[in-house]
Amino acid sequence: MIGLSSLSVALLAAVVTGTSAAILAWRERPDAGATWLSLLLAGQVWWTVFLVLELEAATLAAKALWYDVQWVGVVMVPVAWLLFALEYTGRDRYVRPGVVAAVCVAPAVTLLVVAAGDPYGLVVVDREVSDTMVGSFLRVDPGPWYYVMAGYTYLLGIIGSVPILQLVRDEARPFQGQSAALLVGTAAPWISSIVYLSGAVPVPGLDPTPLAFAVSGVAYLLALSRFRLLTLTPAPRRRARQLVFEQLHDPVFVVGTEGYVLDLNRCAAEVFGVDRRTAIGEAATAVVPHYDELQTGQGDVGPLSIVGENGRRPYEVTVRDVTDDHGRAVGRLAVYHDVGEYIIQQQRLNVLNRVFRHDIRTETNLIQGYTDRLETTPGDERALSVVKESAARIYQLSERTKAASDLFDPVSEPDPPLPVATIIEDAAADLRDRWPRAQVSVCDEVPDVRVPATLQAVVENLCSNAVQHNDADRPSVWIEASTADGWVELSIADDGPGIAPAERAVLTQGVETPLEHASGVGLWIVKWGVETIGGRVSFADREPTGTVVTVSAPMGDATEGERSGAVADPGR
Amino acid sequence: MAENTDPPSEPLDGTESLNRSRPPASDPSPSASASDAPARHEAAPPAGEPLDSAPTGVDAAGLLRAFAAGAPFIALVAAVETLIATALLGVGLTVAPLVVGLVTFAVYTVDHVADADADAASTPRRALLARRYGDQQMVAAALGYGLAVALAVAGGPLALALTLLPGACWVVYASDWLPDVGRAVGGAVAAVIPRGRLGSGSTAADGGYRHVPRLKDVLVLNSVVVAAAWAAALTLLPVAFAGVAAGPAVAVVFAYFFLRSFVDAELPNVRDVEADAAVGVETLPVVFGVARTRWLLYGVDGVVAVVVTSAAVAGLFAWPLVAALGVGLAASLFVTSLAGRVDDASVLGVAPDGTYLLVGAVIAGVRLIG
Repeated sequence: MIGLSSLSVALLAAVVTGTSAAILAWRERPDAGATWLSLLLAGQVWWTVFLVLELEAATLAAKALWYDVQWVGVVMVPVAWLLFALEYTGRDRYVRPGVVAAVCVAPAVTLLVVAAGDPYGLVVVDREVSDTMVGSFLRVDPGPWYYVMAGYTYLLGIIGSVPILQLVRDEARPFQGQSAALLVGTAAPWISSIVYLSGAVPVPGLDPTPLAFAVSGVAYLLALSRFRLLTLTPAPRRRARQLVFEQLHDPVFVVGTEGYVLDLNRCAAEVFGVDRRTAIGEAATAVVPHYDELQTGQGDVGPLSIVGENGRRPYEVTVRDVTDDHGRAVGRLAVYHDVGEYIIQQQRLNVLNRVFRHDIRTETNLIQGYTDRLETTPGDERALSVVKESAARIYQLSERTKAASDLFDPVSEPDPPLPVATIIEDAAADLRDRWPRAQVSVCDEVPDVRVPATLQAVVENLCSNAVQHNDADRPSVWIEASTADGWVELSIADDGPGIAPAERAVLTQGVETPLEHASGVGLWIVKWGVETIGGRVSFADREPTGTVVTVSAPMGDATEGERSGAVADPGR
Repeated sequence: MAENTDPPSEPLDGTESLNRSRPPASDPSPSASASDAPARHEAAPPAGEPLDSAPTGVDAAGLLRAFAAGAPFIALVAAVETLIATALLGVGLTVAPLVVGLVTFAVYTVDHVADADADAASTPRRALLARRYGDQQMVAAALGYGLAVALAVAGGPLALALTLLPGACWVVYASDWLPDVGRAVGGAVAAVIPRGRLGSGSTAADGGYRHVPRLKDVLVLNSVVVAAAWAAALTLLPVAFAGVAAGPAVAVVFAYFFLRSFVDAELPNVRDVEADAAVGVETLPVVFGVARTRWLLYGVDGVVAVVVTSAAVAGLFAWPLVAALGVGLAASLFVTSLAGRVDDASVLGVAPDGTYLLVGAVIAGVRLIG
């Protein structure tokens, strides 16, 4: 150390901190930004080391040589800073070979010019030894390319600082500390450089930038050790948030303030059969289901019945305004939650509650009353008959309830789709077997398609209801099937007394009350079964008497193309 | 850093040597953390002892001793070796021993922190220390290397290059940098040349090209690289700092440290011969047997003796210095004679380094006497 100028001794402090920080950064590879930060610090150390060698060199030629070598570090710093900032903040999609090559063009040109001896004075027009009280260094007269590189350095520095600056306002304290330390580490040499270029340095011709690297090194060391820079990086957050949006099981649309679709996630594309490439930029009313109903205000809307790839499902839509940092609305977010399962579960609880609270209680009261009567009149045949019938109804209710539970067992794997013909034939055979007097008619042409197996329980319940509640001497049932646009329509008609309007209303509204409720569980099984497969059930009166129940169900093995027509209309 | 920056250290029985250079027998995987630089004092725990049980309840003084017995001790030995080189070369005392000591401390500290998991069985206290204070040790190591570089800058470009040499060797030798580069290059080349035209041994994982191993996983080459890097730094740094021209003595001193380093590297392999053979790792003792290896190492020390004596006859070394080196060689021969004959696993790890301290003490004594 003896014989070193005071400036060299000061610069060696920057070498110590810079080298240390570079090693710590290198240690963190392959974490986001580690390699580029290592290169950034290596560039600073390189610049500083060869400035020391320049200061300590005895001849103009030697000083000029070490001055030229410094350019490697000089051009490395801004490139590494930009790439570090992009990668560290999760913008690694920009850190591609092409981009890296592009930002390296100007530095490479600089190094080539310097390596060629700068024959045209592009970088340095003239140089002379300047002996000062702080050391003997080379005083250069910058050429035009020198200023180009200076501007380029500032440009890359500013671009890189933008994402880092955003982290200063981040809600996570570690990232605030990291970004603050990084900005201090970066600002120090820039300020020094600006001071140098403005001619405000007390020692004329001395570029104090490398001196400021001591501050940078301390700041980076602090960021690495105290704020766990590179160990705790924000890089994955951007990807993670994007991943959540993309992988969310609920369809999401982003609509701009002008009413055009800006983005949609994969689920939205799949569920609503939308082509993402063409949907973006389209009017929201043409792409986003029931968008007209979402335009007023925000919050939860629905449930809305929407036909998608999974059939007709009830959706509750959460609408939120997307705002910028100033609180200005820049778009709207619509998240579609499929609440079908939830609604059915609620209905099941209500129905089961009613079954226990009303149906079974009524039957047990009946049994209790007539068994009391049998105590006093043991031979009362009617009382005995009532008790037996009541017990049979309880048993039947129990079987239906079990069937409903089996139908919605979330654990069991769904059965494979069944041919419509099989379902109809099985239901007809069951009817003929249980009620031999029943007249069962099946249409001649049953479509050769498959439907979800759940429909079997639905048809069986509809058929048995048609006969069981029919007071005709020879109940008649007509079963028909047809297809259209990827859907199957099954209609079961009877000549019975019809379903009471109150009972239909309960099914339509989906809510039972102590005063308004269905009888039994059969029609609920129909409703739940159809809704589970994304279908729809409707009731109509039959002339002169009876009911026609129509079930619309998606084909079980239909391709997307076959059903595309069914989902093309977002408002359907 | 655990997986990609593991410089030289051998996690077998807690002993290590500055020149240890091949993967441990217990972990032959190319990507496994292995070591070449070797710790010295801490003995392996008893068989059957849980890995983490030994450190439990270790007091601060015990941990401090474990730390001091690791990188600081190796750094001390390296500094003494540089002092020996300084004396042999006849140059003035410079900061070279300090620089070498700092670099050694940094490299081995990083290694110990990186290999903490692998070292848990062999050096539990040091491993515990590395796990508990890994970050602090890394900062200390980084500052140590930074200070060494700064000091080297003051010594000029050659001193700087020599100071960076161990670090650069470490990067291409022990870390996964070289395999990473190999994979990247392999992938790029595979994109141009169809896989079917590649030679046998290539895999899909490396882009259809052969896996590029770390240098530390290449037998013989690893020993040569380590020995050459350290010998060059030890020998040339005093010259660079002194700013004198390199004479023929430099080559002799380099040969001395290079050959001695080779012996130091192979002695622990004698200790590990059974384990190495069990996992198919080829070392001199595995290939030639312990007895022949012992004689081979005697021969290497004999070559060292011949080289040093010849240098003295040629007037390159003063005879008192040659006598000091002779004491060290005698100690080395004694240690070599113990190879395969002692059960204390730490002996072959610590004793070779102790010979340098012995030589340093004798030279100091010679200087004091006049």
